Amino acid sequence: MAYTLELDRVTKAFDGFVAVDHLSFNISEGEVFGLLGPNGAGKTSTIRMMIGITVPDSGAVRVFGQPLARRLLDRIGYLPEERGLYKKMKIIENLVFLARLRGLSASEGAHRSMEWLERFDLGRWANSRVEELSKGMQQKTQFIAAIIHNPDFLILDEPFSGLDPASSVVLKDALLDLKKQGKTILFSTHRMDTVERLCDSICLVNQGRSVLLGVLRDIKASYGRSSIQLEYEGELPLLNDPALVAGSNDFGNYVELRLAPGADPQRVLELALRTAKIHRFEMVEPSLEEIFIDTVDSSRVDTNRA
Amino acid sequence: MRNILLIIGREYLVRVRTKSFIFVTLLMPLLLGCAVVIPNLLMLDGTDVRHIVIVAADGSLANSVKSELAPFHASGEEIPTQTGDGKTDRPRFNVSVETAPTEALRRQLSTRVRDGSLDGFLWIDADAVTTRKGTYYSRNASDIIESSIVSRALRLALSERLLAGQGLSPAQAKEVLGQVNLNTVHIDKQGTRESNGMGAFLLPFLLLMAIYMTVLIYGLYVMRSVLEEKASRVVEVLLSSVTPMQLMAGKIIGVGAVGLTQVSIWAAAGIILGKFTNASHAVGESMKDAHLSVAVIIAFLVFFILGYATYACLYAAIGAMVNSDEEAQQFQFPVTLPLILCIVLATAIMRDPDTTLAFVLSMFPLTSPIIMFVRISVSTPPLWQIAYSIAISLASLYGLVWLTSRIYRVGILMYGKRPTLSEIFKWIHYV
Repeated sequence: MAYTLELDRVTKAFDGFVAVDHLSFNISEGEVFGLLGPNGAGKTSTIRMMIGITVPDSGAVRVFGQPLARRLLDRIGYLPEERGLYKKMKIIENLVFLARLRGLSASEGAHRSMEWLERFDLGRWANSRVEELSKGMQQKTQFIAAIIHNPDFLILDEPFSGLDPASSVVLKDALLDLKKQGKTILFSTHRMDTVERLCDSICLVNQGRSVLLGVLRDIKASYGRSSIQLEYEGELPLLNDPALVAGSNDFGNYVELRLAPGADPQRVLELALRTAKIHRFEMVEPSLEEIFIDTVDSSRVDTNRA
Repeated sequence: MRNILLIIGREYLVRVRTKSFIFVTLLMPLLLGCAVVIPNLLMLDGTDVRHIVIVAADGSLANSVKSELAPFHASGEEIPTQTGDGKTDRPRFNVSVETAPTEALRRQLSTRVRDGSLDGFLWIDADAVTTRKGTYYSRNASDIIESSIVSRALRLALSERLLAGQGLSPAQAKEVLGQVNLNTVHIDKQGTRESNGMGAFLLPFLLLMAIYMTVLIYGLYVMRSVLEEKASRVVEVLLSSVTPMQLMAGKIIGVGAVGLTQVSIWAAAGIILGKFTNASHAVGESMKDAHLSVAVIIAFLVFFILGYATYACLYAAIGAMVNSDEEAQQFQFPVTLPLILCIVLATAIMRDPDTTLAFVLSMFPLTSPIIMFVRISVSTPPLWQIAYSIAISLASLYGLVWLTSRIYRVGILMYGKRPTLSEIFKWIHYV
């Protein structure tokens, strides 16, 4: 299978601080890939090396099967985490300028910009300055800037941040369209719900290193149905029993818990019924969020021990 | 190359379209126009014929004053004035003489001045020769030109009378009282030419201020522009399409082109104003001696570009290093210091363009663009010095571009705390 992106033991240090530490992963063509990790894990540093803003200290970056080179960048689209538009310029001017930098003609850039603006319901704002727009509108404009040149590989850093639910749906549909067209998409985020629904594969990074990597379905399957989702009213002291519960994420009237090895789920239900009113009890695969927290926690423990 | 052009284009268009640019660019010539045209209009009023009356018991003294006013005499032939310039700008006088100074006459003349049939009258008391005093009555006491002409005429008439008392003939007295004309002659390698001093200084000074202002203002624009892209994170998007070097070069050239546009508009406005107004005649007159030769114009362009490029690089590096305007100010000062030094020393160097200090400053890359230009515009430094100055400037510019592009490349992606000197040094060594 052809890879759109290959990272081979990529390392980058700033002033002795290792931001990315021998990170390796591949993204297959047409795949939606999630690059996950807590803040400061090295996601942005990694992405910057994928688009040639910075150069790795060691290791290799290959895109479309070739070593990263400037001319390949025209086939990549990039949405930075923070909005990067000229505030004093009109939306349409911003888009046409960035489109032209990507090699499009001015008229083609304007044409495509208007098409996308209409699709995102921003058509009547085309001649407004960026600073007059809401955060969500700016985010949508930024997204258009990233895909205006119809890239084969799209890198999105926190694409859904700052979007209201309706806009999120429009953006998600646009992404699914791109996926259907065979584009490769890389997400960098710490929003697990989005990743869970959209991504085929993930790489979880922590402190610059890959701690979990693979096809999302396989990863979740490997954990088995060892998790319980509980909707309840009352108290659940059993959550603090290490013999039964290995970890939990409690929302007050909803809890996701992971069973301790060898623990009996029926025993959990029994204990729960004694102290609380149970509305729902379901055994499920662990959510990505649980896996995320669990993995990050254990890798942190590892580092502390080391 | 296409990318650089796109960046230049954006940088240029965005700036030229701002209200502040349009405002300042148009306001300057407008202010200049007002400063030139309004006094001109007032002066035009002053070129009317003034009807005045000289009242003195001593008729010959009165006539003597009248003849001193003669250069401005409406009916008489104009004789060359002693001051020799601006003849047409001076008011003309239509003078009549009264030799019976009575209170009734004074009242009558006052009434005529008030109702406008007379512009003014000069009242000379009988003891004027000893007191050297006269009184000039007019509607507009603040018309300095008119009263100074009258005062001068009275002074000359009284002095002639005094000298006649010492036994000098009127012709001899006139000679004694005649003005001195001092011609200054400018000597340089190409020969000699006459100049009246003023112009020889004024034009180079204006040009040097143009370099100074543009370098400073547009250098700061480059800094702001870098800072703005950094703060708004646009730079991340841009750098996925262009190299830091292209971005920096495009920015510096684009902003510089805006500066050049503004200076050109001002220069054109200045020339048009000079052509179409009378009052700038006086300025134009003194300017005619300023040798705005082709060499000086070329020197202006060369040193303007060198100076701007040098400082724009430095300011771009500052913009890349800092996160806010406040932080930028601390770095700004040391960079701006050599520029200010140039302006402080400019007049001294104009007067004395070949001192060791002038030579050293015209070689040092941060001061040479201004100082060498000053030297070229007022004298002719040896050709090898000009060549050295340009060569040193170009060499340092090359090094500076290399250095700042490295600082820029790392700096624009660094947010948060301000870097220390040792950190900046490390940036330069990053691959």
